[in-house]
Amino acid sequence: MNTTLNETGKTGKSGRWKWWLSLLLVVAAAVAMVAIPVFVIMPFKAQTAAGVEWSYRLRRWSPPATVVGTILFLALCMKLWRGSRWPGRLAMPALLAPLLTVTWFAQQNHFEWMFNPLLNANYARAGEAGFVADGDMVMAVKINGDEVAFPVRQMAYHHVVNDVVGGKPITATY
Amino acid sequence: MWESEVDGKKLTFHLSGINNQNFIMRDEETGTWWQQVSGEAIHGPLKGKKLTRVDNDEMTFALWKRENQQGRVLKPDERVKQKYEAADWEEQYAKFRVVTPVDPNDKLSPRTLIAGLVVNGKSAAYPLPALEKQRLILDNIGSGGGVTPIFVVLGDDNKSVRAFERAVDGRTLEFYVKPDTSPIQLIDETATTWDFSGKAVSGPLAGKQLKKIFALKDYWFDWKIYNPDTKVYTLGESPPQSKQ
Repeated sequence: MNTTLNETGKTGKSGRWKWWLSLLLVVAAAVAMVAIPVFVIMPFKAQTAAGVEWSYRLRRWSPPATVVGTILFLALCMKLWRGSRWPGRLAMPALLAPLLTVTWFAQQNHFEWMFNPLLNANYARAGEAGFVADGDMVMAVKINGDEVAFPVRQMAYHHVVNDVVGGKPITATY
Repeated sequence: MWESEVDGKKLTFHLSGINNQNFIMRDEETGTWWQQVSGEAIHGPLKGKKLTRVDNDEMTFALWKRENQQGRVLKPDERVKQKYEAADWEEQYAKFRVVTPVDPNDKLSPRTLIAGLVVNGKSAAYPLPALEKQRLILDNIGSGGGVTPIFVVLGDDNKSVRAFERAVDGRTLEFYVKPDTSPIQLIDETATTWDFSGKAVSGPLAGKQLKKIFALKDYWFDWKIYNPDTKVYTLGESPPQSKQ
């Protein structure tokens, strides 16, 4: 009788390790998917064409994939919770923390943390623009008589400004 | 600077990455990735499309103000004002390292600033140090039947660069810097005087306007990646004979 119990217990355990492995794989895949493009397209590093392409793919799919991964993770936890003792029950939130972090990070554009985008472009008259020094460079554009200067020191921070000049939607980049 | 519309669809661009020190933009509407310097869609649904360039001038504020008194200037964003580049940002940037391979035989260092021109698919780079020495460079871009005579001129602020075609009504002209002029003026063989905006202000051709060519100020290493067949102007080289 004792033997039988032990045997059932063993079968249960040997089945459970597969679920635990799946749990770990979900977390590892989600972390890799989000972390790899961050490292590949890092400033001051050389990029290869293939590296950029893979970064694009991972960035493209990581937002939905990490959400699916989180749902899968929670489903696995529900399955494992009952039969787990305290080390296992502790491991679940410990694994959930990095998973939630990367799921959130995948929805972010960390380049815009470094360089805040300009949300509303406001302008001053040429004669009243005391915030630009005479020797500072500007990117100047003239469309349909509308003359606009984008000071380079501002542009070198924002990098991208979407606006309308002379009725035409333009994107100033630096 | 680019037109925001592609095939009639207006796109909103965001900074979203970097590719060998030139940044990648992502448009919010389709998620396509675009290379900033070339305007080319490199990955995503619009891959292969190219943005239409809006020609712009890079010049000092003083010079711009002189030419555009009615213009408007982008205001600093108060939230991030303290993060803007310092006044000496150009000197700081010049010290940044370069990550792309450096050709040991290259006469120009990777961070040399150049004025890059593309005329009928042919590109040419004019190093700023050469322009600082010569102020005015006469050149021809292209070969055979497709030669375009041009000049590149550096303003007296030593920062503003402009380029023009130097043919007027089919006649190629030779230009010289008019001595003791500030703002800088040029004079041609017909004794016509031209200002920095390419307009003939006095002389036989008064009222004519030279055709402007977009000049991109860029680092040599970056220009070379996107214009691998570019020719480079070397200081002291006599301008090739122009053909009428």
